[in-house]
Amino acid sequence: MFDENQPSLAANSANAIARVDDLKVYFNSKRGIVHSVDGVSFDIRDGETLGLVGETGCGKSVTGRSFLQLLPMPPGIQAGGSITFYPQGICEECGGKGCASCTGTGRTSVDCEACSGTGCDACGNNGAQQIDLLKLGSEKMRRIRGDRIAMIFQDPGKALNPSLTIREQVGEVFLQHRSEELLGAAGIATDAGGWQANILRRKASQMERGIEGLLLALPPLRSQRNKLELALDDMVADALTETQIANPRKLMGRYPHELSGGMRQRVMIAQALACNPDLLIADEPTTALDVTVQARILELISELKERHKTSVLYISHDLSLVRRICDRVAVMYAGRIAEIGTTEQIFNDPRHPYTRGLLAAVPTAASKRGELAAIKGSVPELVDPKPSCRFTGRCLFETEACGTFDPALQNVAPNHAVSCFIHHPPPEGARPSFDTKTS
Amino acid sequence: MADISQTRLPKSPFRGPTTSVWQVRVLRMRELAANILSNPTTVLGLAIIGMLLGMAIFAPFIAEPNIPDAYQMPRDWGAVRKPPGTPGHILGTTNEGGDVFYGVVWGSRTSLQLSLIVVSATVIIGTIVGSIAGFLGGWVDEVLMRIVDVFLSIPELIFALAIAAMLGPSFSNIIIALSMVIWVKYARIMRAQIIQVKQNEYIDAARVIGDSKINIYFRDILPNSFTPVMVQATLDMGNVVLIGATLSFIGLSEAGIAEWGVLVSEGQAGIASGRWWASTFPGLMIFLWALAFNLVGDGLRDALDPRTEGR
Repeated sequence: MFDENQPSLAANSANAIARVDDLKVYFNSKRGIVHSVDGVSFDIRDGETLGLVGETGCGKSVTGRSFLQLLPMPPGIQAGGSITFYPQGICEECGGKGCASCTGTGRTSVDCEACSGTGCDACGNNGAQQIDLLKLGSEKMRRIRGDRIAMIFQDPGKALNPSLTIREQVGEVFLQHRSEELLGAAGIATDAGGWQANILRRKASQMERGIEGLLLALPPLRSQRNKLELALDDMVADALTETQIANPRKLMGRYPHELSGGMRQRVMIAQALACNPDLLIADEPTTALDVTVQARILELISELKERHKTSVLYISHDLSLVRRICDRVAVMYAGRIAEIGTTEQIFNDPRHPYTRGLLAAVPTAASKRGELAAIKGSVPELVDPKPSCRFTGRCLFETEACGTFDPALQNVAPNHAVSCFIHHPPPEGARPSFDTKTS
Repeated sequence: MADISQTRLPKSPFRGPTTSVWQVRVLRMRELAANILSNPTTVLGLAIIGMLLGMAIFAPFIAEPNIPDAYQMPRDWGAVRKPPGTPGHILGTTNEGGDVFYGVVWGSRTSLQLSLIVVSATVIIGTIVGSIAGFLGGWVDEVLMRIVDVFLSIPELIFALAIAAMLGPSFSNIIIALSMVIWVKYARIMRAQIIQVKQNEYIDAARVIGDSKINIYFRDILPNSFTPVMVQATLDMGNVVLIGATLSFIGLSEAGIAEWGVLVSEGQAGIASGRWWASTFPGLMIFLWALAFNLVGDGLRDALDPRTEGR
């Protein structure tokens, strides 16, 4: 077997766009420390869609939000681990179309700043820039958010500011991250001196304050400001056009409550993909939508992902949906990864008892009417857990070792890793007994 | 699949002028105005406010200003205790020969000054303190809110009375006293609103696109939490005059000032002997003022709160 292998991590880091390593996020609560995410490791490879599935409260959203430091930190505790992000650039040889030097993805790793690509300690000797997202300062984090890593939320109705128009909300992304391009498109020299140019520059990055807004509305700067606004209009309209919204120019002046759920989600996607990010975190983006809209939004996400060469972390609890759009799937249970592998492996050859239970519980057209299959028992409390497999008590294949040891995630096949003692022996000292328990 | 990267999307179909942000805002304001005006009691309140404002603005033309200080009641010692209808004193005179009509007209100016200064000062202070507490949270919030609690533990009127009495009897001291007492209300409202708005997912969404904290505050949090403050401010425009008149009535503003509360207090001695007019007319003005702003405040709340829509 493959028991000596590292679990399912990409062979070379050039292939990975982000790597989560032993991530631990805890929360303080009145009853103790909740281990929401307890030692999760996986990687997201360049250009792939990785599905993160699990039931409510298993830690999948917490994992997703950790990428962008979005968790409130007084109740939350960053208990350990790291999320390494490898920013990518468009390949210069082929201009993003895909060639041999960029292994067909159209993207190459951005060179490390310390050694400019020759390899050093700072970049782990491979020359590619790497950023630990958990240790990033707030200003650096701010520059990554929306530019290199973007996120789509579950309920587009709640994720848009009700008091700003669509134009203002999508335009904000460009103002935060693309002010140079904006100034260029408006025909304003980016290196011009003088107070007027300074105010315009500040306007283009949404930094104008107080009286500057007034000055911009008055004659000497007014025409320049209008050019800037028109350039921004164009950028926003293009971003909206990408999401196949009908009549984007007209839509720009609308407020979120005037749009349907599907349109709002398209606006969210336009906002997320505006700056062509390397990684898109989609936190159940279709849960709040009805099924027909859901299908179209999914199509849109996969199409845009192909075109922009964006990697996607797709968080969902919907197995059939994940099967449709993901290249690889990680199954989470109670703050741990139970199983990770290609979509094929997970759905056709599930190894973890939990994955098996989940798949058995999915009703199909062929299944008999009547009671639905379910996994017996309920999700364990995550308050101060003891070292044991999290699935004990519900597992049909429980052994003595399961109650005293944590099974580690280990490979059972290439790209396929499972954390279960059925597939690899428990540590010494435990007496394994693989007797299948009845009922 | 390979040529999908080469597909060029068509440029936006038409490049006509976009509806600008300002046009949209004007439209929204019109919508709101129509919404407010559809409520008859609000319209009544607005009409009364308009009348009172007109009276305050055109006071010099309605009642000839007193020399040298227009805010002092003119004294006509030759016409003391005259009933309404006396030539030259349409609404009668007080015990000290003060013209009631003059007091009523110029009193609207003093009331407007009082309410505008107190409300704008308290809204600004309250919003700043409440925002800092709600936005930063933690120990800053704790410290600020405990201070607010201290202020709130003493009844408004009694606290204002104590401060005004401490500072000495004068109209400007009443303004200071009321401002010191009322700002805590806005700090409370603002903090509660900000904490609530902060929970919204669009704040996370704004962080996700890389917005700075200060931008998030000014663009996402403040506009979405300011409505209750606005409603409360409108209601307070009336309440402040009510409390101010009470303080004046007790004698905490300088004697002889053209202020409704002072006038009521000047006339109250005569009520028992049948000289009702000196207290009644300024009392009526106080009533109208408080009523009008309460009507408009309620109307504003209904118009701005989506939950009451379509009642």
